[in-house]
Amino acid sequence: MVTPCSGSQPWPPSFSRSPASGLLIAAVAAFFAWFGVSIIVLADGRRGLAVGLAVSAAGLAAIAWQDGDGVAALIVLGGGAAAAVLRYRAGPGGWMLMPPGSTARLILCVAGGLVGLWFAASVTIGPDVATRFAVLSVIGMSGARIVSSREPSSVVTAVATLALATAVATHLGAGSAGLAPYVAAALIAAGALLVPVRVANVP
Amino acid sequence: MSPDLATCLPLLIAGAATLGLAVAMSPARVSRRTLLARGGTGLAGLIAIAAAPSLDLLVLSLLVLAVLHAALPGKRDFASRLQMPVVAVVLVAVALLFVRVQGPEMLQRFAAVGLAAGLAACVGLLPYIHVLEPEDTAVVSPTVWIGFVGPVAATAILIRVRGLLSPDAGTDLGAILIGLGLVNMLWGTLAAWRAEDSTRAWHYSFMADWGLALCGFGLTVADGQAAALLILVSIVFGRLPLYLASRQALRENQSADRPINLMVAAVLAGSAPFAGFAARVLLLRGATQMYWPLALVLVAGMLLWLPVSLRLGRTLGQPRGRQALGVGIVIAANAVVGLYPLPLLALGGR
Repeated sequence: MVTPCSGSQPWPPSFSRSPASGLLIAAVAAFFAWFGVSIIVLADGRRGLAVGLAVSAAGLAAIAWQDGDGVAALIVLGGGAAAAVLRYRAGPGGWMLMPPGSTARLILCVAGGLVGLWFAASVTIGPDVATRFAVLSVIGMSGARIVSSREPSSVVTAVATLALATAVATHLGAGSAGLAPYVAAALIAAGALLVPVRVANVP
Repeated sequence: MSPDLATCLPLLIAGAATLGLAVAMSPARVSRRTLLARGGTGLAGLIAIAAAPSLDLLVLSLLVLAVLHAALPGKRDFASRLQMPVVAVVLVAVALLFVRVQGPEMLQRFAAVGLAAGLAACVGLLPYIHVLEPEDTAVVSPTVWIGFVGPVAATAILIRVRGLLSPDAGTDLGAILIGLGLVNMLWGTLAAWRAEDSTRAWHYSFMADWGLALCGFGLTVADGQAAALLILVSIVFGRLPLYLASRQALRENQSADRPINLMVAAVLAGSAPFAGFAARVLLLRGATQMYWPLALVLVAGMLLWLPVSLRLGRTLGQPRGRQALGVGIVIAANAVVGLYPLPLLALGGR
């Protein structure tokens, strides 16, 4: 039955979301996590690495929030933001996004996303598809970045993302792991960038 | 005290004792304060790994140790020294993910493969041998992973995954560990025997001992677990301090055939009455209970320790002063553990 428009609808009194919008938020958050770690894989400059870290941390934090743990989301976001700021202040200058010879890295990003999607949506069952996709793609791609890179700044940035994704993965466990993994991961993310490793600081 | 921490307690005590000996035995030109600070940080990391309430925190502790160790000044750069420990962290993290999600049974088996591979990468065993620079100091070298961090990390991980894996996947993990153990045992002994550089020979000998430890972990009977604990203790408070004591003689290219060298060779070979002998007896008993042909293979492999140990014993040179005292303490402690291993096994909950 069609009813006449009754004007603007009032703002809902609570922040409860419909299942559809929840899925959409989770999907966007998972995409951000993958996109952020893809930037880390593709960039060599401190700006690119910092933006990649911030975007990935924001995606992972949104997934933690979507999973119902607001405090954990804030911790992940805080750790990721602190690490991104530290990364922005030191390392090779500029963006250096997709420097010559980056084809293999680009293939890694696409393949990492596809494998993560296949694993999360097809191989495994149950809720938390976005969490499975984000965690697997971020852990796998940051591990690949660490193994394939010789530049300390990109390596420690990938270590920070790896720590945050490992903490977010605890949500998939049967019992609650509490906030300890999130706090540890945030400290590692920020602390890894403070470890005195010789980094070329080119303006 | 949690049961997980209690299981690692003998290894933590052995690690602390080795650190004390290393500081006491270090030559004057090396700063003892620096060694104590770095070793103390490593020991704190070991305690964090052993006391971690969940596998996730254990993995994060490993990541911290890996970054701190790779940041130490050495011949190899930061990124290349971080590679293998990070491979371990990634493999264990992905294995945990496979354990936790709902899906086909095959995922649990992949998790078992990932855990075994992660363990091998963490310790530095085949197929993930860490690159060794003989000129590097012991604190910076991969010996830290194979002789100091690895035993506690492996024990802590394997104790915690017991309740996570399905029975079939647990059986698969045991079989993979036995297979990896046999390969590392043979590779380690043969490579240590044939290696031209004595520092590399020492490193390979650690791998051979780890082969026995993995076989012990793979045997799901109590004797196998007890054997694994004894072998790991003999690595941490036997092979590692003896290797550290031989570093100066290795640098000066000295060798000797004195009685103390033969005693050290006996400790390294796992002959009676030292700790390695008790471990080997328990391992053979466990293998016989599980599948007796495995015991035959193990006995054949154990014979390969003899030439290797004689070679390594000679590289100790002629220890004097503090070094001689340290070597004497290690030999005596290994004899005590070998003659009466029950208190140690009880401390570790075996």
